[in-house]
Amino acid sequence: MDVAVRIPAEFHNFVHEENVLGRETWTIDLGASNASFFTQLFGYMFDNVIVLGPDDNALDYTFDALVEPTIEGFEFSVPNQSKTDAFAVWIRYRMQIFDSLGNNASTWTVSAYDKSQKEGMGGSKSLQRAAVLAMRDAAALILLQMDKSTKIGELANGPLDLSAIEALADAEADEDDSLSFGIFAIGGIDEDTQ
Amino acid sequence: MKILSNFTMILLASALSGCITASIENDRAESTGLLEGETVVVMAKSYHQGNETEAYYIRCVEKALGRGAGALNVIPTQQFIDNLFPWFEPRTAPADTKGLVQLMERPGVPAAVRAMGVRYIVWLDGETERVTQGGSLSCAAGPGGGGCFGFAWWQDDSDYEASVWDLSDSASAGTVTADYSGTSFLPALVVPIPLIARTKSKACTGLAKQLKLFIVSEETA
Repeated sequence: MDVAVRIPAEFHNFVHEENVLGRETWTIDLGASNASFFTQLFGYMFDNVIVLGPDDNALDYTFDALVEPTIEGFEFSVPNQSKTDAFAVWIRYRMQIFDSLGNNASTWTVSAYDKSQKEGMGGSKSLQRAAVLAMRDAAALILLQMDKSTKIGELANGPLDLSAIEALADAEADEDDSLSFGIFAIGGIDEDTQ
Repeated sequence: MKILSNFTMILLASALSGCITASIENDRAESTGLLEGETVVVMAKSYHQGNETEAYYIRCVEKALGRGAGALNVIPTQQFIDNLFPWFEPRTAPADTKGLVQLMERPGVPAAVRAMGVRYIVWLDGETERVTQGGSLSCAAGPGGGGCFGFAWWQDDSDYEASVWDLSDSASAGTVTADYSGTSFLPALVVPIPLIARTKSKACTGLAKQLKLFIVSEETA
């Protein structure tokens, strides 16, 4: 199956800065990690991957499916907040899948989480490591559940027909409420409340 | 002369340590043994299962298993996890031997395990925590000099359990537990004299030593 991936500009230079408890500012600089992550991941999952830039016209390329990942949410906690000795990161990716004609086939939200114990006096390296581990968690989720959740494999047989798209949209609208809770990783939240 | 005397006292204190009591047990489920070329990997049980084992402790046990008398061939944890991605991530790692049986049936997993020669997975669980503490210590400094006065103490408990899984039959080979309890003292008469009970460090070397014996032993259950 041939898949095109549109990498958004923010994936090439992702920096998240946040002021915690009104006192200290923490910065996570992932650089081009997200771009590299999705390129490698999809390169493993599919036969052929075409990487598109934000401004590339998808119609100029031939593929079975187009995936557009974005970062919908990025949060972290530091030891001062969680009263533990670990930094935790939550990343929420949103993946929009289109068929070869540009019709929206599915939308899938991936919520990933991981943590890293504080080592040393600072903490920025531990926070960075937690972010990288959260990306690995996302990779594991995508590898294991992407086809089941998005049915992307069916696009190898050709684009969706409009009647099927409408039926799928109605089904997704009906199922939205039931699917919205199922994906979040709650391990870190459980530990914060213990 | 006074400085030399204080320095001597500090050196003497470094050579001393607090009091530690230790208990190490093993519970064997089946016979073990390690053939030439077979390796061991040390893993932390997933935090999804409530594990809080410190990363430092896991690295310590990994190093201790691979050196000294009876050293084992140890595959670095991260190398093992990377080679078997995504099956040993915190979210996906098998929680019990039933999960291990299912994992070993997945395409590619047995071949990857064979390529690394991994025979045993050692899952570590446990932590070191401060049980109690007391006393007080005050330090002051001024133009004429400084010093500390007082007495502080604390007790640490290091409880760790190592579950050994044998990949040759996807079954549990047994468990080894290490329980170290130590009290540290810090008297100070101008100069603090630390008498530290390094329970975590002792628990690491003690557990690693027992694991070596457990894994290479030809005892039967």
